[in-house]
Amino acid sequence: MALTGAALTGAEPPAAAYHRVSARHFARLKLRILRNSLRGRTSRVVLFLGGVLFGLYLGGMGFLLAALSAAGDGQVRLLVASFGGAALVLGAVLLPLVWFGIDDTLDPARFALLPLRRGQLVRGLFAAALVSVPAGTLLLATAGLLVPVAVHGGFAAVAVQLVGLVGGLLLCVAAGRAVTSAFATMLRSRRVRDLAGILLACLAALLAPLQLAVVSALGSTDWDRLAAVARVVGWTPLAAPYTVGIEVAEGRPVAALAKLLITAAAVAGLLWWWGRSLEPAMVGAATAGPARAARPARAGPVAQLFPRLLPGLPVTATGALVAREVRYWWRDAKRRANLITVAAIGVLVPALVTAGGSRVMIGLAEPGTDPGPASPAVANLTVLFVGAFAASVLANQFGFDGTAYAGNVTAGVPGRRELAARAAAHAILMVPLLALVGAVVAVVRGEAAAAPAAWGVLLAGYGTGLAVNQYASVLAAYPLPESSNPFATASGSGIAKSLLALVAIVVAYVVAAPVLVAAALLDGAWPVVAVPVGLGYGLAATALGCYLAGDVLDRRAPELLAAVTPNR
Amino acid sequence: MPEPPARYRRGVGGTGAGAPALVLRGLTKRFGTMLAVAGVDLDVPAGSFFGLLGPNGAGKTTTLSMVVGLLRPDAGRAWVLGHDVWADPVAAKHRLGALPDGVRLFDRLSGAELLAYTGLLRGMDPATVDQRATELLDVLALGDAGRTLVVDYSAGMKKKIGLACALLHAPRLLVLDEPFEAVDPVSAALIRDILGRYVAGGGTVIFSSHVMEVVERLCSHVAILDQGVIKTVGPLDQVRGGRPLEAVFVEVVGGRTATGEELSWL
Repeated sequence: MALTGAALTGAEPPAAAYHRVSARHFARLKLRILRNSLRGRTSRVVLFLGGVLFGLYLGGMGFLLAALSAAGDGQVRLLVASFGGAALVLGAVLLPLVWFGIDDTLDPARFALLPLRRGQLVRGLFAAALVSVPAGTLLLATAGLLVPVAVHGGFAAVAVQLVGLVGGLLLCVAAGRAVTSAFATMLRSRRVRDLAGILLACLAALLAPLQLAVVSALGSTDWDRLAAVARVVGWTPLAAPYTVGIEVAEGRPVAALAKLLITAAAVAGLLWWWGRSLEPAMVGAATAGPARAARPARAGPVAQLFPRLLPGLPVTATGALVAREVRYWWRDAKRRANLITVAAIGVLVPALVTAGGSRVMIGLAEPGTDPGPASPAVANLTVLFVGAFAASVLANQFGFDGTAYAGNVTAGVPGRRELAARAAAHAILMVPLLALVGAVVAVVRGEAAAAPAAWGVLLAGYGTGLAVNQYASVLAAYPLPESSNPFATASGSGIAKSLLALVAIVVAYVVAAPVLVAAALLDGAWPVVAVPVGLGYGLAATALGCYLAGDVLDRRAPELLAAVTPNR
Repeated sequence: MPEPPARYRRGVGGTGAGAPALVLRGLTKRFGTMLAVAGVDLDVPAGSFFGLLGPNGAGKTTTLSMVVGLLRPDAGRAWVLGHDVWADPVAAKHRLGALPDGVRLFDRLSGAELLAYTGLLRGMDPATVDQRATELLDVLALGDAGRTLVVDYSAGMKKKIGLACALLHAPRLLVLDEPFEAVDPVSAALIRDILGRYVAGGGTVIFSSHVMEVVERLCSHVAILDQGVIKTVGPLDQVRGGRPLEAVFVEVVGGRTATGEELSWL
């Protein structure tokens, strides 16, 4: 009643009437939303449980690897803690960017109207981010590091390592959030979005040298040199939290303290960085304002729709679909981010590996351990992967459109035309890149004939990939959040994306197997016929895929629209 | 399932004088355990300006989504000018223009690009698309937006470009979900004028709203939908019976319209 009186007289309500919002509230809110979103939806429950099981599997494997290092000497333990930890932190930064995205259950934009200070919001969202399957997986995997510390150190070492593990978890989650948030801001800005795209591609391509470095390090026998590197890495935030137990066990408590401080400083710095990029995300601007208005329209509406770079497009319904798709791959930050990362990891990385990647990394590898270029059969298998994977970004092509797909449904676009146009638009962007991959393979292998040989397999793989993913996109579409963050995903969709890609690639391998067999049988003659055969095979597969999946699409367009509609 | 009279069906004078532009029979949709639309029967006379009224959550959007082919009904059928929306979607969609609510447009296109896309998608001739799109952009005062992407439009501008997309192929039936929501008075007057001319020219409009003034000013016919069922339907004057439409609406729908002792802290 006292409150009522105060409010009616226009006075400020007493401050005691409001509780302070703590990070705990955010974590509980996330759990509540997660529970509600699973209720009554069997497929989501299955996906979620699949994600948990996969997390347990990965975490368990990590735990075992870390725990087994207890059997090795001090150098081995240092190597595992240092390099393993660094790999985890790098993975926590790169994987959300290039593949999994970040859980968008608590979209910062939804808190924009609440009277929260930035610090409160960052702490809250951070706490909510910690309540997730990947965070649990990380903690489980790194907990394995307690075993060697317990065996070779004392109680104090275990206690300090425990603190380090928590610090490492905070570091990984903060790094993933801060980096994706910063990239989201950059990709939205007109000024730096192209630069951000290039940067993103470079980061994604980093996976290749990292992978190769690991391979060449394993092949190396110079343990002392590796240990020296590990010691240095242990002093960077990458591995500092994971090597504190070793420091205590080896009698250097001051070093352990310093490493904990390094970790804390890194976490604080990342959270500060994240907080700065949260504000643009909260305002939720999908793009950076109408900067294009200044330029007047240069031609009629139809001429504006068709990109000038593609003069040959027919001015028909199909042509309009292709033009819109091409524009969308570039203008929609979500699509662009996906396209760039798939291009980088799916196309360039295996291309380098196929081309005899260890030569690229020759500086790191020991002389004499260079295995040389892969054999043609192995090379073809990898090249086929490149082609099939390039199409994998289409697996949820309708999810990118979301409810906008309703426009095509009300216009009554025939399913076959819809799918063929989407495949054509993607091919316009991807085929030049695949051509480049073939050329790179030839250059690195040092034989000109390798280029057409690779092109044939690439085209066949890409065509079958397109066909398979057309099917997947019609049957297994899932909604993406309508967020301004291109990396935002709903809980559980990372596992859906991975499963879809895996299935699509396996099926593509099966469907394209005849081409691989032909390449192996023809051997020397393959480069001569590769391009026409590959092109024909790819085109036939795509046409068949569009034909069959288009029929399905005609029957279930409204269901597809419902599947890609985000439920709020 | 109840069938409409033979003259509504395809090829049997479906577009003839006196035949309804839109016929709904037993349209039903269930979401989980909730019955959103519980058997809607409706005849929208050709050339009428038809207002679909209803409180929030009455099933207006669900019903109209089923009419335009975005949401598959659990039961019941819908005929657009004699063409079954779900059995012969191409013919039905060809004859209707839709402005769905709560649905995004392809908003990474500019207004002109979006209109060109929509027109070509519907198989229109490029020259016609250019001419009509330019005219629509001018009339709806969207020409100044130039190459601004639709995603950067204001809410009212988005409604207007959505309406332009629905009008572009000159359909004989317009299905509009909340066309006046978020639109400023000047634009609303403009949209009323466009729709008035469209109906005068022989077109049929059915739109949903819960703004009584708009409905009273525009409509020749109204239907009140509540809890998934049509409660009242008929020509505007007949439904009103000399009373303000709002009074009729509140009476039909029920519910409280005034607060008691609560909210005293406000």
